[in-house]
Amino acid sequence: MDKPFAITLDVGSSLANHTGSWRTQRPVYLDRIPPCNSTCPAGENIQGWLYHAESGDYEAAWRVLVEDNPLPAIMGRVCYHPCEGACNRAQVDEAVGINSVERFLGDEALKQGWKLTPPAAESGKRVLIVGAGPSGLSAAYHLRRLGHQVRIVEAGPYAGGMMRFGIPAYRLPRAVLDAEVQRILDLGVQLELNTKVSDIRRTMQEGGYDAAFLAVGAHIAKRAYIPAGAAAHMVDAVSLLRSMEGEEKPMLGRRVVIYGGGNTAIDAARTAKRLGASEAIIVYRRTREKMPAHDFEVAEAMEEGIMIKWLSTIKRMGEGTITVEKMALDDKGFPQPTGEYESLEADSLVLALGQDVDLSLLDGVPGLEKKDGVVQVATNMMTGYPGIFAGGDMVPSERTVTVAVGHGKKAARNIDAWLGGKQYAPAPKHEAATFDLINQWYYADAPKTVRPQLDLVRRQTTFEEVVAGLDVTNALFEARRCLSCGNCFECDNCYGVCPDNAVIKLGRGNRFKFNYDYCKGCGICVSECPCGAIKMVPEPS
Amino acid sequence: MLKQIEGSRAVAEAVALCRPEVICAYPISPQTHIVEALGEMCRTGALPGCEFINVESEFAAMSVAIGASAAGARSYTATASQGLLFMAEAVFNASGLGLPIVMTVANRAIGAPINIWNDHSDSMSMRDCGWIQLFAETNQEALDLHIQAFRLAEELSLPVMVCMDGFILTHAVERVDMPSLEQVRAFLPPYVPRQVLDPAEPVSIGAMVGPEAFMEVRYLAHAKQIQALGLIPEFAADFRKTFGRDSGGLVRAYRCDDAETIVVALGSVVGTIQDVVDEMREGGVKIGVLAIKSFRPFPLVEVREILQHARRVVVLEKTLAVGIGGVMSMNVRMALTQVALKGYTVIAGLGGRPITKASLHRLFADAHADRLEHLTFLDLDRKVVERVLDRERETRRSGPIAENILRDLGVVAARI
Repeated sequence: MDKPFAITLDVGSSLANHTGSWRTQRPVYLDRIPPCNSTCPAGENIQGWLYHAESGDYEAAWRVLVEDNPLPAIMGRVCYHPCEGACNRAQVDEAVGINSVERFLGDEALKQGWKLTPPAAESGKRVLIVGAGPSGLSAAYHLRRLGHQVRIVEAGPYAGGMMRFGIPAYRLPRAVLDAEVQRILDLGVQLELNTKVSDIRRTMQEGGYDAAFLAVGAHIAKRAYIPAGAAAHMVDAVSLLRSMEGEEKPMLGRRVVIYGGGNTAIDAARTAKRLGASEAIIVYRRTREKMPAHDFEVAEAMEEGIMIKWLSTIKRMGEGTITVEKMALDDKGFPQPTGEYESLEADSLVLALGQDVDLSLLDGVPGLEKKDGVVQVATNMMTGYPGIFAGGDMVPSERTVTVAVGHGKKAARNIDAWLGGKQYAPAPKHEAATFDLINQWYYADAPKTVRPQLDLVRRQTTFEEVVAGLDVTNALFEARRCLSCGNCFECDNCYGVCPDNAVIKLGRGNRFKFNYDYCKGCGICVSECPCGAIKMVPEPS
Repeated sequence: MLKQIEGSRAVAEAVALCRPEVICAYPISPQTHIVEALGEMCRTGALPGCEFINVESEFAAMSVAIGASAAGARSYTATASQGLLFMAEAVFNASGLGLPIVMTVANRAIGAPINIWNDHSDSMSMRDCGWIQLFAETNQEALDLHIQAFRLAEELSLPVMVCMDGFILTHAVERVDMPSLEQVRAFLPPYVPRQVLDPAEPVSIGAMVGPEAFMEVRYLAHAKQIQALGLIPEFAADFRKTFGRDSGGLVRAYRCDDAETIVVALGSVVGTIQDVVDEMREGGVKIGVLAIKSFRPFPLVEVREILQHARRVVVLEKTLAVGIGGVMSMNVRMALTQVALKGYTVIAGLGGRPITKASLHRLFADAHADRLEHLTFLDLDRKVVERVLDRERETRRSGPIAENILRDLGVVAARI
């Protein structure tokens, strides 16, 4: 070709000029921890599994999910999803429906019969787990995957702990619970039911265990002294919810009063309503803002006709009536008695005032520290007695299924390290992917997908599951709402905007790298990265 | 086909008949109607095979035109005033790379103060950018010049700017003869780029060139423009053959043969001057007018041939080269090297000020009697400028000039 003189040149004629030498700062690719991951009490790699769900590869998504949490179908129903509260997308339109996608993946796994990955090799170590609740099951799963022999000893007649005896079936259908437990047992985890461990050291010694993880839960209902007549019918919420699992359904009468303000009080009230109570009234001594129950559960309960008497305490119970004293908040926000009384008609009173732990199995174990009714553990989840670890409701922390699952995982990793005579060192935390790093311009508006709810009348009368799941089409949509905060998703923006062609594409799945011979350090890639996966650092001197 | 349409519409239809393949535009008055009409034609299918790209700025408009043209597409854009200034860097690149882009400039003043009306400051600011600059006298000529411009641009591989007076032409509805697609096809061959990009044989266009070759590149650009001096009359003649009318060319002389006074002008004002010439001729004044059609390349020889027999030349321009006077008069002066005749520069019509026959009569009478100063500002309100100058002599910081003038005139735009 006859090329125009000095206008059309051979390729690469400018490459002699290494413009990278002008640079005073350089861009670097990095991974930042997204708010969902950093908030998840179970330590899930949420963005990681959403990434696969976005491409419709649900099995890959599920496999990333169960790296951290073996109970996604349960989690997608009962988790209070702090991830969604932290989600950066909430500041754009609405948080990504992480919980609903998780449930979809969990249900899909059960439907398709996906199995957990068995251990590659056996370690020859034996670990005892006391309690088959979420924490125990989680620890069992992780320890088994690390190659240890695991045996769960459970005092109750079924596995699941508080997930079975505390959470009503309308929130967690028992078939889902059974299936996810069974999948863990299929890995070779042994389960022994109806066996109460009364002396942990003896059980360990007799069974030849190298370590133990205790997760007995908090099953003992707290009581309050309420003067009551002989005919008064009083029951605690833990017993009420537990008896729902038996043959005989409890008798509460038409007018039921529930005393307390936590999630258990809400569960008890909604259960009473479904058992046929025409009135279910929660009596709580403070205001809605101060109520420990989660707001959406309070809202769902109120939709179902549960009434709540705020700023009230119960003074005594007679036959068919309860005397209530009105309270007023003082300037510090604590409720103080006013001396004003009123009566409520009630056939029964359910006490939902919190739960204690039965720590008797630890009697006589030296080195333990017990405080506020729970066992103290070190950061590695080990009690003061070497080889005995503990987690879930019996250690100081928030009492939710998700926290318990997180304890199980953390304990398992530390037990594994301890068995090998090592110290478990968690990977260093990445920088936070905060909202200011998100370049919103690049994301289209996409409102959250709302999960369908059961018709109100059926909610009040049956124990059918209240909230339904997503299906294949809307789960995909919901997953794709993820902004991938702080982690490259290969959108090619940096590759496209670089004025020096200094971004080298490494091929699908391998992301990019910079050609520092030509990168002038202009930082356009950083400001145009949608998700904050590039940052500028000073040029090394 | 005869049509009674707006000048912008006429240009748009003519551009469409040239079948451009890429049009990229950013709106700015008084050019907007042209690209609006073209956008509509692309959307309705009236202009098939053309990609209309809404860009984010004039800089982008010219950059996209450069890319499209380099890739082998017949490319068109339009702009005016500040828009032309904003695209300036890319304007130079287009000509430097020798890309045959055609651009309409709907001539408009340049701020500040902001002014949307007609004068030639915008095109003149780009007079040395390497583009061919053609000026239209009428709407008919404006549309005809676009057809010639594509042929000229593609023959030389140089970009062509077709300049037409904003509002005076763009917004005037008048009769034009719109050619048919067949006629345009007969005149304008398909675009064959001087180099075809081929992914199998990659090249680098417009990369750095050092002192060892840069001057030669510039010389070649100049040589191209000198070639255009031959091609422009040739294509105008060919145009006449196909379309049956005179349009374009380098210059057009009117009643200059025996003229003692010749007025030189650009663009639509030539029509008014021609009427004044006719009226003065009736009074026995030997006066003529020379319209410059091609400002770049500047037809030094043709201008000299016509002017050298006159006694005086009056260059009437719609631009002020601040600090010296006229832009075109310097070019005319160059043409008259070693020719002794009187020369007057008249600055007229800045920012859309009307150039009336009455004023021109007075002006030309003064010129003919050699009563003009070397540099004259037509219809300048002396009282206003003297008041300002006085005020500034008295008070060092006397406030914003434009606002003060408006207050003096009683036309207060903003009450301070």
